[in-house]
Amino acid sequence: MDAAAARAPKRPLPTAARGRPPGGALWHRAANLVVLCYLAATAVLMPLHAAGVVQRWTVVHVLLLGAVTNAVVTWTAHFSTAMLHAPGPGPRFSALRLIGLNVGVLGILTGIGHGLPAVTAGSGLVLAAVIVAHLVSLVRMRRQGLGGRFVATVRFYWAGTLALIAGMTAGVVMGVGLAGSWHSRVYAAHLSLNLLGWVGLAVLGTLFLLWPTVLGTRMAEGAMRAARRSLPLCAAGLAVAAAGMLAASGLLAAAGLACYLAGTAVGLAPAVGAWRRRGPERPAAFMLAASIGWLLIALGVAIAGALTAAGPEALAGRLSAMLPWFLAGFVAQVLIGSLTHFLPLVLGGGPAGGGAAGRLLDRFGRTRVVAANAGIALVALPLPGPVVSFGWVLVAASFAGFVTLAALAAGLARKTARGPAAEAGPDPRGGRLAVVAGLAMTALLVVVAVTVVNLRVAPDEGGESLTLTEGGVQTVDVSLEAMSIDPGSITVVPGTRLVLRVVNNGHTRHDLVFADGPATAMLAPGESAELDLGEVTAPLEGWCTVMGHKEAGMTLRIDTAEGGHDHGDPGEEGPVDPVAGDAPSAGFEPYDAALPPVGGGDVHEVTMRVSDEVVEVAPGVTQKMWTFGGSVPGPTLRGKVGDVFVVTLVNDGSVAHSIDFHASVLAPDEPMRSIEPGERLVYEFTATAAGAWMYHCGTAPMVQHLGNGMYGALVIDPPDLPEVDREYVMVQSELYFGEQGAHGDFAAMAAGEPDAVVFNGYHDQYRHAPLVATAGDRVRVWTVNAGIERPGSFHVVGSQFDTVFGEGAYLLRPGDPGGGAAQALALQPGQGGFVEFTLPEAGNYPFLTHVMVDAERGAAGVFAVE
Amino acid sequence: MFELWTLIRFVHVLSATVWVGGQLTISALLLPVVRRGLAARDRATVMRGVGRRFGRFTVVVFLPVQLGSGVLLAWHHGVGFATLAEPGYGRTLLAKLIVVALVMAAAGVHGWAQGTRRAGAARAFAIVSLLGSFLIVLLAVSLVEG
Repeated sequence: MDAAAARAPKRPLPTAARGRPPGGALWHRAANLVVLCYLAATAVLMPLHAAGVVQRWTVVHVLLLGAVTNAVVTWTAHFSTAMLHAPGPGPRFSALRLIGLNVGVLGILTGIGHGLPAVTAGSGLVLAAVIVAHLVSLVRMRRQGLGGRFVATVRFYWAGTLALIAGMTAGVVMGVGLAGSWHSRVYAAHLSLNLLGWVGLAVLGTLFLLWPTVLGTRMAEGAMRAARRSLPLCAAGLAVAAAGMLAASGLLAAAGLACYLAGTAVGLAPAVGAWRRRGPERPAAFMLAASIGWLLIALGVAIAGALTAAGPEALAGRLSAMLPWFLAGFVAQVLIGSLTHFLPLVLGGGPAGGGAAGRLLDRFGRTRVVAANAGIALVALPLPGPVVSFGWVLVAASFAGFVTLAALAAGLARKTARGPAAEAGPDPRGGRLAVVAGLAMTALLVVVAVTVVNLRVAPDEGGESLTLTEGGVQTVDVSLEAMSIDPGSITVVPGTRLVLRVVNNGHTRHDLVFADGPATAMLAPGESAELDLGEVTAPLEGWCTVMGHKEAGMTLRIDTAEGGHDHGDPGEEGPVDPVAGDAPSAGFEPYDAALPPVGGGDVHEVTMRVSDEVVEVAPGVTQKMWTFGGSVPGPTLRGKVGDVFVVTLVNDGSVAHSIDFHASVLAPDEPMRSIEPGERLVYEFTATAAGAWMYHCGTAPMVQHLGNGMYGALVIDPPDLPEVDREYVMVQSELYFGEQGAHGDFAAMAAGEPDAVVFNGYHDQYRHAPLVATAGDRVRVWTVNAGIERPGSFHVVGSQFDTVFGEGAYLLRPGDPGGGAAQALALQPGQGGFVEFTLPEAGNYPFLTHVMVDAERGAAGVFAVE
Repeated sequence: MFELWTLIRFVHVLSATVWVGGQLTISALLLPVVRRGLAARDRATVMRGVGRRFGRFTVVVFLPVQLGSGVLLAWHHGVGFATLAEPGYGRTLLAKLIVVALVMAAAGVHGWAQGTRRAGAARAFAIVSLLGSFLIVLLAVSLVEG
């Protein structure tokens, strides 16, 4: 490079203006190949992104941090050397810069993509060091160079590099984590500084020389004067815009952007003049012109957005929405246009090779330009999804076409260049380049491996969805985990006041922020916060604001259940279906329905352990149930009026649970509170009234906790309860079959479509294991309807009830004046009672709920009387 | 004393050791000695000969043994195409398979570059092949517990 620079001073136009890089072609070629690799990766990632496999963050940063930053660093250094007639930084510095830059870029892509903050921070430091070193070297070139009339354009590079340092800082601050609207403010500033500053200023500065060269005309007289006037406007405008975005002042941001637009217009005036002298002919010129067109459109849209957006979140949202077409239209296109012009010169291969490569790169040029820009227009306009997808296909095809041609051109130029020289002794620089290339390819291999191992196929699969069927105040536990939020979506009845209990169960800091809504603080691992969303009337979108986390799938959607919940066709795809007549498995042990008489003592100390158990609930059907005491229903407790119950609830389960005894009269806040796995609570109450009382888990969503088996009966005898020969308890409940061995089907619970209705937790339990009695026995059956939603109507075939106790009162007793008897005890979910009857003679007396649909679904049994 | 599966795993690991060790021996031990001791022409002849033999070993012995024993081991572990997508064991195995394919491609490109006297490309892809093999071993050991 030194030799080339030493030759340069006498010439009126720098070598760059004629397009030939001055020496150092080896590193130059390596740097450009790196750019091509990132561009190829972008072309591959775009359809993967469209298919939902790859996050937008990744595509954006492979293009910007990978391709664009490499190109800008390489070319700003090159043009500065050429235009200032300065000695270049030397091959060793260039090599280190190239390696450091790409170590930083790959590190950040890996670190943020996979949530490894240490890798992100380390790589960010490397990248920042490289950029600072680059800026220092650019400024030193000005000192050591001969200066001249192109200094004004080089200053664009200095300003751009400063903007990148500020923009990267903003990115890092987002990575550390920001709460509330600050994330949106910093995000908007990050976008502006990096795109309009680092990319935009570098492009504008280069265009003063590049544009006339590409057109094949000379530089206009006033070009450098325009450059001197343009930069202060652009730089000041950018600073004001960034400040406006940070201050959440739309007006200030719009003013700054307008100032930047004015600077751009001043700077582009000579380019317009050059066009008027000689219009564009080659694809490179068309692409550059189109890219500047998209820049101007984007500035206009951004100014309008800043003026009309309500608040920083809305502005950040609009800028974010512009990003895809801005990147494709301006950034990618300007890069491809420049490479189309420069690659033949850089690739070498002499005039023959370069010329052939140039012709190759111009192939299908106009088609590619039209396809790309038509595609970008389809993407930018508010059109339906399939049209936008088609636009992306056009863009990707056009860009991939360029990458393919560029690779072919590289091969062509190389072949032409290879002559006798190729047989000469090994070039030490070539050897080193080979080592760097080998290491770089290996690094890519590592990235591929890490990506495959950690790939999150569909971001929305991270959290399950949750449907609340009841309105009022609903509290939902939300778990922030590594790159997912569980549940990932919540559907509520419109008007529900939704309170989220947010716990960070991940290993890094997370928060949960709603657009234009409440936000938690940044939560350290293990910390929790409560977020009151108020009455939900419209869909809401929440996410984690740590950089990259939203894109990696940390989102939470709140939907309102208008138009009904789509449960699908229940008959079509039941995961498992018990067949009537099938026998239970060999290890089947019926739930003991016999109820022992109340024991002595007035205080009952009970430990109730919550645990997850996989149990058989019907022949051939096993389900993972949440249990009290390991069984469904939980153990039946019994006492008499005035007894004290001291219940210790231990949560050995996997999610928060609670217990609610209908037999207790007390403030629910403390005893009925939810406790996390591993916690315990003591619930003490005095049973003041007789009845067949239900107990159950009261943790939201209750349909899920009840649907998964968390209920049981507590019997409090009325005073002077007569003795009988046999006493049984029947808890009626519903089963919603999920996959074999898994939890019940939540959607079916929410829709109230049970697969089975059962007594004491098992389909047709006491048909498989009949309850035995002797002829003439007097029997009392206590029954509780645990729901979740089916009414009960307890009936014994071949028998009449002479005693019926329902919900706190005797409805019928022997000797009542009416002389009647009862045929069924009706109970709504949450109610209980008992019936007494005599089994007169030997035979089989079926008992069932006379809600026949449910009897068919398994709520039936038999008294076998001998 | 040894189960059949132990023997198959032994063959799989032994063959991999020979391949990775062979590469390491050639690049780290043989190459520096040859560079110092031989003239450029002899050097090229020797290295090309070694490379050709190693390539023949790779195609005739190494690849069939690895693919055969690898497929058997996967079958023994109950791995199917569907399980490859599952996070954890499946994904790690998938990553290993992809890296194996890429490393084999790199080794192939290395052989081609060596044959057509593209010294730079040959060296670059030799590095990818060697370091990529280490990565494969790393992924392989992460598949085995303990």
